[in-house]
Amino acid sequence: MAKIDSSGSTMPSNFIDDLNYEKEDSGTCDSHNTSSFTLTDNIQHRRTSLVSQESEFEIEDFTYSDDDFEYDDDDGEAYDSMLTKPVKHSNKKELSEGAVPNLSYEILTTQDIFENMLARVDHLQPIFNMPREDILLLMQHYDWNEERLLENWTERMEELLVEIGVNQADAKPTDIKVTEDIDEKEISEIKKRGITFKEHFNCIICCEEKDTKTFSLECGHEYCIDCYRHYIEDKLHSGNVITCMDCSLALKNIDIDSIMGHNSSKKLMTSSIKSFVQKHNKNYKWCPYADCKCIVHLRDTSSLAEYTRLHYSPFVQCDAGHRFCFNCGFETHAPADCNVTSAWVKKARKESENLNWVMSHTKECPKCEVNIEKDGGCNHMKCSSCKYEFCWICEGDWAPHGKAFYQCTLYKNDENSKKTQSEELSKIMKKYTFYYRVFNEHEISAKLDWKLGQTIGSKVRALQEKMDISWIEGQFLTDSIKILNEGRTALKWSFPVAFYSDASHNLTKIFVDNQSLLSKAVEDLSELLQIKDPEEIMKNKLEFYNKSGYVENRMYALMECGRDLLCKGICKPKD
Amino acid sequence: MASLPKRIIKETERLVTDPVPGITAEPHDDNLRYFKVTIEGPAGSPYENGLFNLELYLPDDYPMEAPKVRFLTKIYHPNIDRLGRICLDILKTNWSPALQIRTVLLSVQALLASPNPNDPLANDVAEDWIKNEQGAKAKAKEWTALYAKK
Repeated sequence: MAKIDSSGSTMPSNFIDDLNYEKEDSGTCDSHNTSSFTLTDNIQHRRTSLVSQESEFEIEDFTYSDDDFEYDDDDGEAYDSMLTKPVKHSNKKELSEGAVPNLSYEILTTQDIFENMLARVDHLQPIFNMPREDILLLMQHYDWNEERLLENWTERMEELLVEIGVNQADAKPTDIKVTEDIDEKEISEIKKRGITFKEHFNCIICCEEKDTKTFSLECGHEYCIDCYRHYIEDKLHSGNVITCMDCSLALKNIDIDSIMGHNSSKKLMTSSIKSFVQKHNKNYKWCPYADCKCIVHLRDTSSLAEYTRLHYSPFVQCDAGHRFCFNCGFETHAPADCNVTSAWVKKARKESENLNWVMSHTKECPKCEVNIEKDGGCNHMKCSSCKYEFCWICEGDWAPHGKAFYQCTLYKNDENSKKTQSEELSKIMKKYTFYYRVFNEHEISAKLDWKLGQTIGSKVRALQEKMDISWIEGQFLTDSIKILNEGRTALKWSFPVAFYSDASHNLTKIFVDNQSLLSKAVEDLSELLQIKDPEEIMKNKLEFYNKSGYVENRMYALMECGRDLLCKGICKPKD
Repeated sequence: MASLPKRIIKETERLVTDPVPGITAEPHDDNLRYFKVTIEGPAGSPYENGLFNLELYLPDDYPMEAPKVRFLTKIYHPNIDRLGRICLDILKTNWSPALQIRTVLLSVQALLASPNPNDPLANDVAEDWIKNEQGAKAKAKEWTALYAKK
C-alpha cells in the first residue's frame, strides 16, 4: 500500500513531463496537462485523493474496496507485482493504468498522416529514382504499405509500373524515369500529357462535337474536359488511383488538379488516407464523436490484451478533448469493460426496429465489423471499408475459397444455435427493461448536464463581472461540471454491469449500494450547479469543492468495485 | 422526358446499323434507356443454339455509371443467379465510361463461353460445376434446350 501511495503522489510531476505525446510542439502542452488527471489510472488517482483529502471525506466507504484488493487471489501474483512497479519515465505520452502496461499514443489528422506519407515518399525517393508524384501513386496503389510495395518492386519493377499505370503498357524501359519530359514527347504531338484546346472536338464519351478543352495522357485517349471532370468527381471519394477512362495509365495529382481546379487531389488523398486508417483499424481509430477529425494512433497494440484481461479499458483522449475507449470505440464506459459495453449496446440496439432490419439484411464484416448489405454480385465480398475479402456465406476469409468454396454449407448449424439463444434472451427481457430505463434516464440527464455545462462559461463571466472574482478563481465551476459529467457517465455505465451481474452475490449488493451512493452524490452536485445567483454561488464555493470531491471519490470506488465484479467473474456479459 | 444524351442516341444508332453478330439490342418504345436484348449462346459452349433474353437499363449517370444488365431467360451458369443477376467485373468495379453497350454485351457473351466457377454467384451451380463439370455442362445444355429455345 505504501508503495502505491508514494508512486501515486509523485505521479503528477512525472506526468507533466510525459505529456508531450510524441509531438514536439509545446503549444499544445497546456491542454494536455489539464487532461493528465482524467487520464491517469483509477487506482492511483483514488489513492492520491485519499491521501490528500482524507480529512474531508468518510474514509470508511473505501475499506471494503481496499479489502477486495487484498483477497483478489485469482490473478493475484502477476497483479501485485505489476502494482509495485515504479512509474517509468518516458518521453512519450503515458497512461499508467496501474496494473496494466502504459499506453502511449499519438493524435493525428488525415493531413498529419498524409504528411507522414509524403515524408516516407521522400525517404523512398533514392530507392525508386523516380519523380515523387510517381512514388506517391505507387504508395497509394499499395494502400501506403511500403513493405509490400518494396517487395513487389524488387521482384518485378517494370510490370508493376505498367500495372499501376505509371508507364504505358508498350513503354520502353528507357521511359521509366521521366513521364513529363515534354521535350522528348513534343515530336509526337498527340502523346502529350495535359490539357489542350480543340475546335470541333468529337468526344467519344459524350458524343458531342464542340469547341472545348480536352485532356489526355500519353496514351492519347483524349476526352473533353467536362467528361473528365464528371469522371474524376465520381472517383475522388473512392481513394483509389484514378486511371485514364480507356486504359490503365494513371492520373497523377497534378493532372487531377489541372483538370478539376487546384487542390482537388487533396480530396482524393484524404479518401485514400481514410481508407488506410480503416484498413489499419487495429492501430488507428477515428474519434467517434460527431464531426471530430482526430485519429488516435496506437503503435503498440500488444498491451490491449492485458487491458482486456484485467477488465480495464484503454481510454484515450483526442485533441478536441473527447474521451473514448480505444478498444471498442465507445465513450468512456467505466466501470463496465468493453465486453459488457458491447453486449449492452448490441442488446439495446436489438430492441429497435432499425437494428432488426440491419440484422436481417446485413452482415458484419468479419474483420472490421462494419455492417454490409449485399445488393447484388457474387458471394466473393470485399469490404469497402477495410478491404478484407471474405465469403458472404460462411463469413470466412476468401483466400481458401478459390477452389473449395462448397465448405460453406457449415453455415446452417450456426443459425440453429442462434435461435435458441434468442429464446433465452426473451426470458431476461423484464430485468433488462428495468436497467435499460435507468441507463437511458441517465443518458438524458447527461445531455441536460451537457447543456448546463454550456451555461457555465457565462456563469464564470458573471462572477468576474459582478463579484470581481478572478477567472482562475472561478474555475471551480468548470471543474465541478467536468466531474459531474464524469460521474454521470460512470453511473450510466454501471447499470450494464449491474444487469449482467449475479444479483445474489454479496459483491453485487455492495456494488448496487455504491451505485446509489454515487447516484446521490451526482444528483446533489447537479442541484448545486443549478444555482444561478453569483453571490449564492460564491457563498457555496466550499460546498462545490466538497461535493465534487465526493463525487470523484464515489466514482472511483464504484469503478473499482465494478472491476472486481468483472475480475471475479460475477459479472458475465451475455449476448 | 428529359432529352436523351447524344451518347445514348449514337450508341443506339450504331447497334441498329452495325449490329454485333449474335446479339440484338433494341430500346423500348416508352423508355429509350431501357433495352430488350437477346444473346445467342456461343458455339462450342453448353449454351449453343440457345437464345437468351436479357434486359439492359442505362442509369441517369450513364456513361459514368455502368448499365444494369439482367438475364430474363432461366440459365444454368455459375456466375448468373436464379434472378438472372450477373457477376461480371465490368458491370461493377471495373466499369469505365469508355466501355459501351456493345462491349458489355460482348463480355456477357464471353462469360457464357467461359464460366468462372471459382468466383461464383449461384453457389449450388458453381459447386456442381467444380465437382462434376461434365454433369453440370449437360444440365446447362438441358436447360438451354428447355428454356432458351430459338
